[in-house]
Amino acid sequence: MAHTPTHIDFRANVQHVPPQMPPSVQKATAKFLGNRAGLVDLYGPDNWEVLREAGHEIRLHAIHHLDHYLTQLEEQVTQAGGHVHWARDATAARSIVLQIAREHNVKRVVKAKSMASEEINLNHALEEAGIQTLETDLGEYIVQLAGEMPSHIIVPAVHLTKEGIADLFHDKLGGDAPAEPTALTAIARARLREEFLAADMGLSGANFMVAETGTIVLVTNEGNGRMCTTLPPVHVAIAGIDKVVPDMPSLSVLLKLLARSATGQKISTYTSFIHGPRQSTEENGPQEFHLILLDNGRTRILKDEVARETMLCIRCGACLNVCPVYNHVGGHAYGWVYSGPIGSILSPQLLGTAVAADLPFASSLCGACGDVCPVKIPLPKILLHLRQRVVEGDQVEAATASPVIQAGVSAGTLALGTPWLYQLGTLLLPLVQKPLQRGAWLPNLPPPINRWTMVRPFPAFGADFRAWWNKRTGKPLTPKWLRNAALIAITIEVGLAIAWLLTRKRGDKK
Amino acid sequence: MMANTAREEMLDKVRAALKRTADSSVAPIPATARIAPRTAGNAEAELASLFSEIEKLGGQTQRLENKADLEAALRELVATESIKKATLWQTAELKAWGVEDALRSIGVGIISPYASNREVAECDLGVTGADFALPETGTLVLRSSIEQPRTVSLLPRVHLALIRPVCLRADLHQVFEEAKHAGYFVFVTGPSRTADIELTVTVGVHGPKTLCVIALP
Repeated sequence: MAHTPTHIDFRANVQHVPPQMPPSVQKATAKFLGNRAGLVDLYGPDNWEVLREAGHEIRLHAIHHLDHYLTQLEEQVTQAGGHVHWARDATAARSIVLQIAREHNVKRVVKAKSMASEEINLNHALEEAGIQTLETDLGEYIVQLAGEMPSHIIVPAVHLTKEGIADLFHDKLGGDAPAEPTALTAIARARLREEFLAADMGLSGANFMVAETGTIVLVTNEGNGRMCTTLPPVHVAIAGIDKVVPDMPSLSVLLKLLARSATGQKISTYTSFIHGPRQSTEENGPQEFHLILLDNGRTRILKDEVARETMLCIRCGACLNVCPVYNHVGGHAYGWVYSGPIGSILSPQLLGTAVAADLPFASSLCGACGDVCPVKIPLPKILLHLRQRVVEGDQVEAATASPVIQAGVSAGTLALGTPWLYQLGTLLLPLVQKPLQRGAWLPNLPPPINRWTMVRPFPAFGADFRAWWNKRTGKPLTPKWLRNAALIAITIEVGLAIAWLLTRKRGDKK
Repeated sequence: MMANTAREEMLDKVRAALKRTADSSVAPIPATARIAPRTAGNAEAELASLFSEIEKLGGQTQRLENKADLEAALRELVATESIKKATLWQTAELKAWGVEDALRSIGVGIISPYASNREVAECDLGVTGADFALPETGTLVLRSSIEQPRTVSLLPRVHLALIRPVCLRADLHQVFEEAKHAGYFVFVTGPSRTADIELTVTVGVHGPKTLCVIALP
């Protein structure tokens, strides 16, 4: 199952993609993209762009004022009678859930799909504590029974055939299991219905959290989200701190974008708006409601001004669907809960680029992910930026190049932009390099540029272009008198510059 | 105490990353982050659109010109879906329409919505109203209250919603404006569905297998 990886070897994983993976993944992605395209046409491509821009703006605004909206959210959820917990990392989040479970003597947990809970490997921790934890989204339920990881964010069991699922149900649940989707769904319905009614605790994620009202928004098609948040006496929602949005009008934009981009539905079947535990004006609902706000590396992502926009993601999966790389390897090769282009930028940032160094390179940079993203995350730009971080380390705040290299680059810029200095260089460099030169190459250079020569030799500086031209044509490009005049001018200029420097130094001392 | 420390630490990290302080101001939400709400057509077209969207998703719809026709419609539904037991919202509207009495007279056993979850789950039919409806997507909006228990539209295998055209709203904006302080509410758009096995659309995975919407005058 999903353990937090310490090293993701995408290249090696790609070697183990089963042959049925690409065709089944492509069947799903083609269907979702087709549905999406139809709905974008219906909405009007121009209006769709306005909607995407609004989605981008609203998410960016929320992320840029995250501290404000998180505290507002906390206040509102608390006012509605809910409990808000802050979890620095996976360990903290797991122990908060376990603590709540212990307090209520919880034996059975039903879970609606939550990426955050998979990220912190929650099921494993609960099972270890002797608490039965069941995924209730049909696809998640199937991969949980199979002991596998989801291969697609929206259709987790897309890599499994109905025959394979029938065998799995027969082995794990007993009884007859015909290889037919309707019959298999009915088996899961009956089995999970009992679990919903018997569960002591419901776990869910949150698609959005509304700061203005303290509302947790949960989007599902099957109805399992409603079950998990209505029937058990305790509801625990766990969500990344990035999921907060300012107000209800923000939802009008984001809900329109989400389902269209994800499955190509106008809206998902069920959208629940959860406001604390059961209110005194209500008949159903849990007696207790807990919201766990998870950091687990997200504040680190915020620090990087380029990669920060990763946090805009609404987890629709559209970037997976268009990605040529994802379509050829499926979700498992990405080695963790997040796959496709968003996984390629999210995993290295949450786990560290040392752990997921391969992922920013698992892209052809074709740009399709950025074009399809409903909240306009500049995925190709972030992929490139993370490639740089993989190579140069994660010190995103400090300059990544050493001061010596930076000084060298500045000097080079100055020399190339100043004709007389350039001329002087063409005269001096061939002389300076003499001791290091071996034929046409400079095989060893002093630090810091030995970082280059450790890998490959540096070409020696050749004669300057004018000299080469003169030799080749026999006709001087610059008349001899002009060349001499220029040399004299350079000498005078250099002399003057030195004299000016000297007088300035003396002046400073006074 | 621990939780409090984690809270301060996380907020500090967020503020440091954003170069903000606890006193930093909040910029107004940019105008480009808002979209103009959809404008409603005439009531007739809106209801037609609502029904056509619900039907596209596999839901059944019916318009009654007269509330006296309700009993006949219920009789038909009870027969086609072989309904033995039903539960229903306790709203003034459903009482005024005489839904409970009509069902009893057809021979359907009535279970109180305040019975245990298991008993409600054993019902074949749950009858609700709808607080709002969105024609663009075929969505019904159901608030939760003592009279409107959440489980009635969730646990029985058939969900019947009785609506009136006055519940139609043009867009999400209006619904949120009216419902945002109402506590829990849910959007229901078609019957429960999944495509998790080989992308084959299958209805009734956890929620109702059948959604039936009847509009009364």
